[in-house]
This record gives sequence, structure tokens and C-alpha cells, in this order.
Amino acid sequence: MRQLYAVDAAARREGLYVGQKATDAAALCPSLVTADAEPEADAMALVQLADWCVRFSPAVALAPPDSLFLDVTGVTHLWGGEVELAADFRARLGRNGLSVRVAIADTPGAAWALAHQARDAETIAPPGGQGALMARLRPTALRLSPEACAQIERLGLKTVGQLVDLPRAPLARRFGAETLERIDQALGRSKEALTFRRPPNPWFARLAFFEPISALEDLQRVSLDVAGKLCARLEREGMGARRFELAFHGVDGKVHPLTIGLALAARDPARTAKLFAPKLETVDPGFGIEVVTMMAAAVEPTAGRQIRLDALLDGGLEDGLTPLIDRLSNRLGEDRVWRTVPVESHIPERSAAPARPLSHIADALAWDRETPRPLRLFRKPEPLEGVMALTPDDPPRQFQWRRRTHSIRHAEGPERIGDEWWRVDIKDVRTDTVRDYYRVEDQDGARFWVYREGLYAAGETPKWFLHGLFG
Amino acid sequence: MTRYAELQATTNFSFLRGASHPHELVIAAAALGVEAVGIVDRNSLAGVVRAWRAIRDLKESGFTTRALTGCRLDFADGTPSLLCYPSDREAYGRLTRLLSVGQRRGLKGECELHWEDFLQHRQGQLVLVAPPDRLDADFETRLREIVEVLKGDVWLAASRRYAARDLHRLSKLAALAERSGAPMVATNDVLYHAPERRALQDVVTCIREGCTITQGGLKLAANAERHMKPPQEMARLFAKFPGAVERSAEIAERIRFDLGQLSYEYPSEPVPPGKTAIQHLRDLTWEGAQWRFQEGMGKKEELVIERELALIERLKFANYFLTVHDIVAWARTKKILCQGRGSAANSLVCFCLGVTAVDPTKPDHDLLFSRFISEKRGEPPDIDVDFEHERREEVMQYVYERYGRDRAAIVATVIHYRPRMAIRQVGKALGLTEDVTAALAGTVWGSWGDMSPAEYISQVGLDPEAPEIRRATALAQELLKFPRHLSQHVGGYVLTQRRLDETVPIGNAAMKDRTFIEWDKDDIDAIGLMKVDVLALGMLTALRKSFEMIPPKPDGSRITDITHIDAEAPEVYDMLCRADSVGVFQVESRAQMSMLPRLRPRKFYDLVIEVAIVRPGPIQGNMVHPYLKRREDPTAIEYPRPAPPHDQMELERILKKTMGVPLFQEQAMRIAIDGAGFKDDQVDGLRRAMATFRHHGNVGEYGELFIKGMLSKGYDAKFTEDCFGQIKGFGSYGFPESHAISFALLVYASAWVKWKWPDAFCASLLNSQPMGFYQPAQLVRDAREHGVEIRAPDAMASDWDCTLEPVEGARLRAVRLGLRQIKGLKEKEILKLMALRQDGVNTIEGFARALPRRTLELLAEADAFASMGLSRRQALWAVKGLAGAANEAAEAPLLARQSLKEVQVELPLMSPPMNVAEDYRTTRLSLKAHPCSFFRDELIATGAVPAATLKSLRDRRWTAVGGLVLVRHFGTKLGTAHSFVTVPAPAARVWSRLLFDPMILTWPSATSTLWASARRCSRRYPPPSSRMRWRAVLANVASISGVMDFRLPLPSEAAARSASTRA
Repeated sequence: MRQLYAVDAAARREGLYVGQKATDAAALCPSLVTADAEPEADAMALVQLADWCVRFSPAVALAPPDSLFLDVTGVTHLWGGEVELAADFRARLGRNGLSVRVAIADTPGAAWALAHQARDAETIAPPGGQGALMARLRPTALRLSPEACAQIERLGLKTVGQLVDLPRAPLARRFGAETLERIDQALGRSKEALTFRRPPNPWFARLAFFEPISALEDLQRVSLDVAGKLCARLEREGMGARRFELAFHGVDGKVHPLTIGLALAARDPARTAKLFAPKLETVDPGFGIEVVTMMAAAVEPTAGRQIRLDALLDGGLEDGLTPLIDRLSNRLGEDRVWRTVPVESHIPERSAAPARPLSHIADALAWDRETPRPLRLFRKPEPLEGVMALTPDDPPRQFQWRRRTHSIRHAEGPERIGDEWWRVDIKDVRTDTVRDYYRVEDQDGARFWVYREGLYAAGETPKWFLHGLFG
Repeated sequence: MTRYAELQATTNFSFLRGASHPHELVIAAAALGVEAVGIVDRNSLAGVVRAWRAIRDLKESGFTTRALTGCRLDFADGTPSLLCYPSDREAYGRLTRLLSVGQRRGLKGECELHWEDFLQHRQGQLVLVAPPDRLDADFETRLREIVEVLKGDVWLAASRRYAARDLHRLSKLAALAERSGAPMVATNDVLYHAPERRALQDVVTCIREGCTITQGGLKLAANAERHMKPPQEMARLFAKFPGAVERSAEIAERIRFDLGQLSYEYPSEPVPPGKTAIQHLRDLTWEGAQWRFQEGMGKKEELVIERELALIERLKFANYFLTVHDIVAWARTKKILCQGRGSAANSLVCFCLGVTAVDPTKPDHDLLFSRFISEKRGEPPDIDVDFEHERREEVMQYVYERYGRDRAAIVATVIHYRPRMAIRQVGKALGLTEDVTAALAGTVWGSWGDMSPAEYISQVGLDPEAPEIRRATALAQELLKFPRHLSQHVGGYVLTQRRLDETVPIGNAAMKDRTFIEWDKDDIDAIGLMKVDVLALGMLTALRKSFEMIPPKPDGSRITDITHIDAEAPEVYDMLCRADSVGVFQVESRAQMSMLPRLRPRKFYDLVIEVAIVRPGPIQGNMVHPYLKRREDPTAIEYPRPAPPHDQMELERILKKTMGVPLFQEQAMRIAIDGAGFKDDQVDGLRRAMATFRHHGNVGEYGELFIKGMLSKGYDAKFTEDCFGQIKGFGSYGFPESHAISFALLVYASAWVKWKWPDAFCASLLNSQPMGFYQPAQLVRDAREHGVEIRAPDAMASDWDCTLEPVEGARLRAVRLGLRQIKGLKEKEILKLMALRQDGVNTIEGFARALPRRTLELLAEADAFASMGLSRRQALWAVKGLAGAANEAAEAPLLARQSLKEVQVELPLMSPPMNVAEDYRTTRLSLKAHPCSFFRDELIATGAVPAATLKSLRDRRWTAVGGLVLVRHFGTKLGTAHSFVTVPAPAARVWSRLLFDPMILTWPSATSTLWASARRCSRRYPPPSSRMRWRAVLANVASISGVMDFRLPLPSEAAARSASTRA
């Protein structure tokens, strides 16, 4: 059963709520637009958000599915106070389209409770004042199990205040020590340990020089050095990058950035430096370069293969072809070098697509030998003249193309391909809008791919086209 | 002229592969001059009877096309697929056994076959090997193995699909055929009857593969060539392979088997050795006659019995009657109430055998045996027997035990695509988003037949003219009557003398220990197999339970059977005339309730009419109002008469007992014969069309014939139209008179119990839930209105079932609600609790020693410790605080030691509305107060009137009502009558709508158009306050004709919702 997982403010105004059956919601609000929940993507987004929050405090902890803890002890003065910090936090996220609720309190438990249940989207509890603020919240604010919460409320205990006022022993007996623990944590009677997240280091390396450098050989040398430093880290973590950015920082404050792209993720410093080499000539060192940095982008795990020193000498497909493709791409432009891969479609025009030169193709998707396709497919089929063929669906015996007559010696076909009926209005779907393709060979041994449009119908002259050439 | 037989036709019974019905393929083949069609579905024979039936009908029109019974065998072990055609009856039996082996082995719906299985059943099979896409060396090896075994009976199937290298492939196949010794034969590997089905074929491929049409890619068909093709076209396509096409016709000639050769034998078990079946039946019948007619029977009855027996003997049906008697007699020995329904009640033999409860010779009834069995019709009899719903499983297991699993199995029901499912799956395949398909599916909610009309589509915010929407609805419409899967029939058994699996494959049902065959009711009718329906009826359970609770009569005798009930008590009819019928069999629905005070039943036969009249047949035929008018005013009785010189009395004779208005199925048929002059075969055709109308809707041709026939005799045109409207209505939900009488017996019996012993009535209905129209809350409320005291479920006083407790100085006892009313409790645990109570345990701590904590929590939450002086909250607090609780491990040892003298805790008192809401949450009913009583004042302030006042309102006055809406019910198109207004309620989803006065049940109803406009807001959960025009049709029935407006949340609902959203 599909049900609502989250609703926005507009949906809430329409009376929709979390947990409602999707069909009921749609009946209630026909214009409802839903998207499938992706809890895993949400979790990843939360992690990203946590890393982003480092700009507010180095200590960020995850509280899935929807919350984060920031320890702002000692950092609020940078913003001018807690109020300003909270406002800035919400404003920045708001500009990114995220609506958040924020609470600042003495304890993580109280902050969580107030963030989730306080009336305002921004709540700041004065030091020691969380107890009073929490008293009116529902017990669910205490991060207890849903079953425990339901039973606690069923006993008539509708607020945290009522729960706090109960004698502790009977309460613990019934709802476990963890219930007491949660109360104590929220009120600051016991300490809650949070596990703070350490953001990963960026893929970045930097070298600084005592003496500014400017000779081309020096630039080459330092680019190899900085690449070595970055690649060593990549290798340690089993990663490779498909893009490197090299930047020379001049003493005059100017930055000269250079970029290379790779067909396959790699971490070979020598090869990386070599690809940068032709571009170094464009760098104007001015009064000298004092810092060089290199950044890796499109970082992805690579096979655990040892990268050998003689990689460039090895003649394997990948090792031989890859550098060539890289050099061509870096010289001609990345979008100029590509390969075609098959696409699952019966329609010839749709059955191929460009792809990255070394993109992997699953075997199942390989070109089917039983449905041969020409090496060159015309973007626009060219009409044929003077076609002689037996009806209803024999191959042509002879045709004229570009004013030359071809008489056919060998032929295979027809391969009948219907149109994609789902692209036309259902009323207009017809069974005779087909193309009959033939593979034919003329007297000179040239091979063509020709087709007749539509089924043969008496009284009509069929139209023929040439759609491609075989090698 | 080339001869050709299509030996590879796949129907839509190869689910999500074939895209045409069997009959479509067969008709296309006949029209194209194809000699024979071989139906080869994947490991299934589910479609063959339908094809065979279609051929049989075609024969009458002069076509000579044959339907060949075959099956495509797909193997689990890599053996190439085989198209297997049994050459004779014995080989057919081996094929069905082979399929049974595979199906019993496979998981539900799957058939797992191995080459060894085939080897064991190969004798007499003619086999076409279906080559795989890639012709490799492995295939050649397997092919040679197959030829080795089946030399002379094996061929290699070859098709032209208009793929790029067709001829190349065919040449390879021809060479392979030459080398291996399996001659090549042409087929077209047909998936649909006409090329226009390509789109639907692609859609079912997408449904099967779980992809959308744009992702389908090469899984979809490149072209539309896999349709039925005429012989000359096949000859052209295979011109380079002489003989391949003609060979198909030669193979077809070698297949001598035809489904018509299946003959049926009854099981012989019920006949004692040394006696013939008819002798035994005769003895049993006369024995039964003495029991049925204790005051002796008249000459007339004796004559009827003799006549019936003679016909049974002549048609050789004695074994069938004995088989049914055997099952019924067994049930009687186990004290399981049972009663035949349907046309068997026309038979006095069935009455004497105890199969039915109706004496067809009673003057009022005047039922004719010929309506049950007719020599002319030559159809097998069909006896349906109802058993207590809680004990039917025992009966079914008895049947399996007595006849064995290889001779008894349940009939299949073909589950067809219904509108919602069709639009959902088609929409998904076409790549519409879930929101759109859900909205489209939503537009057909509650309806069965018609697909989303444009106005509904625009109502949910979609454009009915958008190409995507039109494409989806058009294709869904095409998919609509396609079979989706096979399921087991509710209780129809086929029993045979010889092994059943040599007649039809038997597979596993989803339920453990159930097996069912591949054919449905129509199929086995066509083949001439006989079935016994072992059906379940909740009211029989409830009646038996109430008989057990009713105190013995003064003479010490007890009621154990419906026949022991006093007949024709006027008070029972008084009660029914008041529409006081909650819980009474059949007449408790809203439509029946509104009919009762109008029909004013005063004798048994009135109940028969009451049962029959509130059916779509009479309603669609506009027969209801004329009948009611004539009851009120006998001078209005008139009979339709033809123009002279026709027999003026021909319809009066038929319609006498229903005052000139046809109400029963038989009457409609008789009018067709006598009035419209139908011939025997036409009557049969009409009957068949009626029976399948719901699925195929092909009753139209008879409509013309009927109307023409009637008009030519000078009958009134309006009457003619109405009559036929009624025949159509009967097609879907008709009641024959005999059936109505059988049901009326139960109506009277249950009404009698309700009137005389409302306490036992209430308790037994509650103990038989789920059944009937009403939920426990309504039944309890109704019993209270009848002066029965209801006591709350209590851990110290209640059993699992509801029980009766004596009340000082009162005839009626009080109903103590059973703990079964409490949601989530298990019977096993409660039996343990009852045993503990027996041993004197009377504290929560005592129960805790043997019962799980969860059980006690549920009891506490349901307020079932009240007799211990504990409120709901106190009890829950106490249960949670029991030593040894799940939390104890986490508890500090210090706390554990203190537990003996625990600090007293003051829990907040529960407010009355909350208390009621909690009652509903845990038991779906509350004895404390009606939920609406808490906002009665608010409702009155909004202008709503109390239900009690409604009766005194002026007719057609605008007014407002408010209440708890418990049910959503769309009437089954009760003519211009009413669809129900309703909304799912929070705690209970009940069929009814309760206005806010706690004491009175009121039924506002709205016309369907009004309801359509209001149904969106009705989906909002809060109870409605509806402004309506009050029309006092009856004592307690109103119809709304105004705007409905829904507001005000119910406490429990609001609480439940906020709990679930914020948690």
C-alpha cells in the first residue's frame, strides 16, 4: 500500500497527513503530485548537510532520519550570539530551499524536543530553562519508542511535565530505565554523548616554494611532484579521478588554472603530469609562482590493480588505448571523441547512441549479429528511383541512387519494423505503417540497406529509400 | 488450394503472453480458411475448452475448422519447448497427468517439468519442437535425443517472423530437420488473432517484464506479424520450403483426439455393494419421505416422486444424487447445519433426501422438476449446498478423504482483469506516473462494469482527451475481459470415478491442502462433468449457535433444526413490516429495509417475493413499482395480453402468483417461450447468454429476437422492453423462485429467533462474525433496543465467545460480550485465562503467571478489568508494573526490591469521550455512550436536527443532519433508487450510516449523481453534517437531495490521527 511519507505545507493545508493512504490523499486532492520516497537518498543528503554544517561548528552529529546536532558551545560569539547564529543558519539553508526548525538548549535532548515540537520554528532556551519549556510538550518529544509513547499517552500522561512529576521508580519499572535516562538527558541531569562526524578531507594537494619559480622545466617538475602527492593519497584509499585541476598561484596573486579529463579514473602521477605538459606553455608565470595546488574531481573507486611504473609501455587495450583517447580528448575537446553503443530499440535511428569512449557495455546489450545494421546509417534516408521489385515483399532487383543504377545480385530480407505505436494517438495507430528493410549487394559488391515504406497496396507505387551503407 | 493448420496458437490463458481470447483465435482461423487451430498454452490446458466451445458453435454455422487440444511444454531443465498434441483419449490422459505432476511439484501457479516426466507420459503424443532463438550445437543434440525417443511423431516447428535473417534461419532449420529426422512444419507462432492486437501484446509484455513501453526496447515485438494467417499467405511465406505448410494439415489429421470424447462417470462410493445406484436412491428417497411427511403423504406426492425417479433413472443421474446425499448425510451426523440452494429446490427427491429444505409440492410453491432437470435440455443437474461457514472446511476435507485427491478437486474460477487493475497495470506499462494511474483507477472505484467515463476523469483533474489518457483507457478497455490468473472456485467440487487427473490437470491452490483443476464452471458444463457446490453461509452458523442457546421448550425438546421453528408467527411478520430487521438473513440490507414496509409481508410466500424483488433483475426491469402498486390495490392487477387470435391467457398463467409482474427467472424464461415464441435451441442460447452475461455481455441478439417475437404478437412495447431489461438483470444476479424459497426459509428462521430470543440472536451473530451486513456495534445497539441487556467484556466474566447470563426476574438473559470482541486477542490465550479463572485465580498477578504480558495489556486497554475495580488506566498501569516485565533487566536492583510497596501514583482520569474513543479503538463498539452524544449540542447549533425529530419533518423540506458515517456503499445500481452515502469511519467500517441521535439508525441516501459530486469531500474522514432535503419515504428511511458538507472531527479519529502524525 502506498502512503504519504512526508507532506509539505501546501499539502498539509489540504488536509493531507503523513501515513495517509495515497489513494485517499489523491481523492481528497486530485492535483496532488507525489514522488516515491527515497529513504537512502534522504540519509545521504543528511550526511551531506552535516558536512556543510561544519562552517557553523566543527562538531556535527547525525540524528537520522531528519535531524542534526551541532555543538555550538564557544562558537556563538562569532555570529554575535545564539539568536544571530540560529537566524543565519536558517537563512542560509532557506536560500537553498530547505526549511528547517532550529532549537538551541543546554542539552541535546532538550534541543531535539524543542526543535521538533515547539510552536516556533526557532526556539532558544535560556540556560537552565529547558525544563519549563519542555513541560508542555508531548512525551514523544523525549525520543522514546513509539510503542512506549502510545502507552504513556494512553495512561493519561499527555505531557513531558506530567511524566517528569511521576515518582521515578514506578515509571522506570513500567517503561524501562531508558525512559528515565531520556528525561534526565533532556533536563541536564545526566550527560548524553554524541558521536560527532568528521568530514572527509577534500582531494587536494599543495606545494609551496621558498623561491618563486618560473622556468618551464620547473613547472613540469612541480606538477609531477604535486601530482605524486595527490595520487599517493588516492592510491592509499583505493580511489582514482577522472579530472584533475592544476593551479599555479603567482606572487602577484594571479591564479592560472589548468584542467585535464581522463577516460578512465586513474591515479598515475607520471601520466597525469604528462597530460598537463603541453598546457604548461600557456602559463605566464609573471613574477614567479609561489604555490601550486592540484585537486582531483570525479573521484571514484578503481579496481585494486597495482599501477605499474611501466604502465605506458604495456600494450593491453586499456593501457594502450586509454592514453591515446586521453590525448585526443584533451587536444580536440572531450565532446569530440566518443563511441556508439547500442540502445534497445527496433527503430534503426534510435538504436545507437554516443557514449564515453571507454564506457563499459554489458554483454547482453552488444550488437545482435542476427539483426545486422549498416556501419554508416544516414541521418536522413535517401529516396530511390526506378526500383524494380516483385510484390508484395520481395527484395528490389534494381534501383537508382544518386543517378547511378545498381542491379542487385544478392539480397536478404525483408526485416519488417513497425512504428512505435505509443508515439502516435491511439486512434491513428495502423498496422500498415511499417518499413521492410533489405540488405542488398550490387554488381560491384557494394552493400546497401534499403527499405520500402508501408505494406504493398495494390494501385499504389511503393516508396523506396536507402538508409545506410555496409562497409 | 493449400491446406494449412495453425499448430502454434497461444491464447491469453498463457497469462501476459497471448493477446487474444481462445474464441477470437478460433473464429479468425475459421474465417481465413485454416483447417485446424492447435491451442498450445504454456504448460496449461486452461484455454482449450473455450476454443473447443467456440468451434462447436461455429459448426452450427457450417464451418469445418477443428480445434486441436494441445499444450506447449516448457521444461525447467533446458529441454527445448515442445508443442504436445495427444493423438487419442489415452494419450490425452497422459498429458493431463504429466501437467498435474508438474503443477503439484511447482509453487503456486507454476508448473515444473523435466524431460524424465515427459518420457514417462510420451506414448501417443505428437510433438512439434519449438526451436530456441539461437540454433546451436546443444539444440541439435537435444533435438536428436527427442527424435530418438519419438521417431515418426516429431516435427520441427518453423515460423517466419519477418526478422532480418528469416530465410537464413529457415534454411538452417530445414537442414537441421533433414539431418535429425524431424521434418520441418510451418507455424506462425500466433500470439493474437489480428495484427491490431500488437499494441496490447506489447502492453502485456511490459506488464510481464515489469517495464514501461519506452524501456521495453527489444523485448517488444518489432512488427505485428504474429497473427493468424490464411493458408495461401503461409504457402507464399514458405514457398522455398515445399511441404512445410501442407505437413501441418497432415499432422492435424493424425490428431484424432477431441474434447468431446471425454466421458463422465460418477463415483461409485455411495452405492452399497449388491445394489444398483437407482435402487439405492429409491430406497433412500422413500425412507426420507417418511421422515419429511410424518403425517403421511398424499397420492400426488407419491406420483411426483415416482416421476422424478423415473427421469433420474433414464438420464442416469442416480449416482450424482447419491453423491450429494452422501455429503449432506455426513454433515448431518456431525451436526453441521446445511441446506440446498438454487434450482435443486424444485425436486421432491432432493427434499426427501434432506438435500433441500423446500417441499416443491406445496400449493403455494408449485415448483416443477423440469426446471431442475429437463430431458430436452440434456444438461447435467447442478446442486449447490450451503453449510455453516465456520465448519465448511470439515465438509471439504471429508470430500477429499472419501474420494481421494486424484478423483476430487475444486473447480477453477478465472479471475478476469477488472477495471481498476486493468487501468493500473496498463497505465504503469505506458509510463504514466503512480499519481495518474491511481487517479484513473480511483475513477472506477466501486464500479464493476463501466470504465472511467470522461467526466470522472476530469473530476480528478486529468484531461480525458489527452493522448496518454486516451491510450491508457482504450488499451485497458481491451485488456478488461482478459483472464489474469486462475483461482479456486468458492466450493465447487468435481468428483469422478476414474482418475480426475486423466481428464484435466490438477494443481495446488494457494490454500494448504487444496487442489483445483484448470477449468472453470462453464468449461466443465460444456464437457459434461458434474460438480457439487459446497458453499459456506454465515447465517447457518449463527442459527445453529442460537439454537444451542435457546432454552428447551416446556416439553423439554430443543430446537436443533430450522423445521422445529413455529411456522407463520404473526409477530414475526409484524416485526419485519416495521423494517426491524437488523441481523436477519437477506432482508437486513438498506434496500431490503426500505422495501419491507412497502411490501408488508404477512405470510411465507411474501418473504419469497421480498427476497426475489430486491435484485437487479426486477429493478432493472422496472418491475418493483408495478408490483407494489398491485399489492396496495388489487384492482390494479392486470395481465399483459397479446392481440387476438393468440392465447389471451398465456401470460396470466405464468404471472398469476406475482400479480401480473414477472419477478422470477423462470417467469422470464417462460415468457420467452410462450410469449416471444422462442424455440428450444433459442431458449438454451438465451439461458447460456444470461449465465455469461456478466463476463461477455452478448445477450443482445436474443434481445432483438425477444422483442420482435413479443411485438409480433401484439404485446405492449413498454412491457416488452421491461421484460427484456429484467432478463438482462437476471443474467448477472438472478434468483429463480426455488432459490428464493430456500433463502426465504432462512429469512423466516432468523427473524423468528430475533423476535423470540433477541438475546440468543445477538450473541450467536456476534459469535459467528465476520458475517452479514452489520458490524458488532450495530448488532449490539439493535439488541439493546430490543430490551436485551448487554454487558461489557470482562476478564473475570467473559468467555472467548459471547455468553448469556441470567437476569433476575426476566425472560431474556443478558449478553455478556466475549473477549473475542477485543482486537488482537488470541483464542488460545483466552482459553488459558478461562482455565485459570476456573482454578480460582482472580488477580492480574495471578493471570500474569500463565499469560503473555501483551494479552493482559490488550485486556487492560479494552477496560476488561473493571470488575476488579480498576479503570482502564489503572489496569494498564498495573499490568505494566508487574514484576518480571520485559523491562526488568534494565531495572536497577534497588528498584526491584522496592517493588512490594510501590508508591501510589495518581493517574489523570479519562474523559468520557476519550473513554468511548478507546472503547471503539479496542472493541469497535462502546456500551458507555454514543460517540455523537458528545457533540450533539454542537450539531444542533449548526442547524442539524436530531434523528428522532426527522420523522415529524415535513416532506421535502431542506434540513441538515449530522452523524457518524460508518459505511461507504454504492448500491448495485438500484435503478433510480439510491446509492448510499457514506464514508469510512475511524474505528468501525460498517455498512450503515448512523445519524447523531444515539438511539435511531437512519439511512440517508443520495442519488448517484449527488453522490458523485460529493464523494470527494466524503473521503475526508470526519463525520458529515449534511444538509439534505428530508423526504420521509418510510419510517426510518430518508433520501438526500442536496449538498453534502462534511465537518467536525470525531474525538477518537482526531486523537488517532494526531498520534500517528506527530509520533
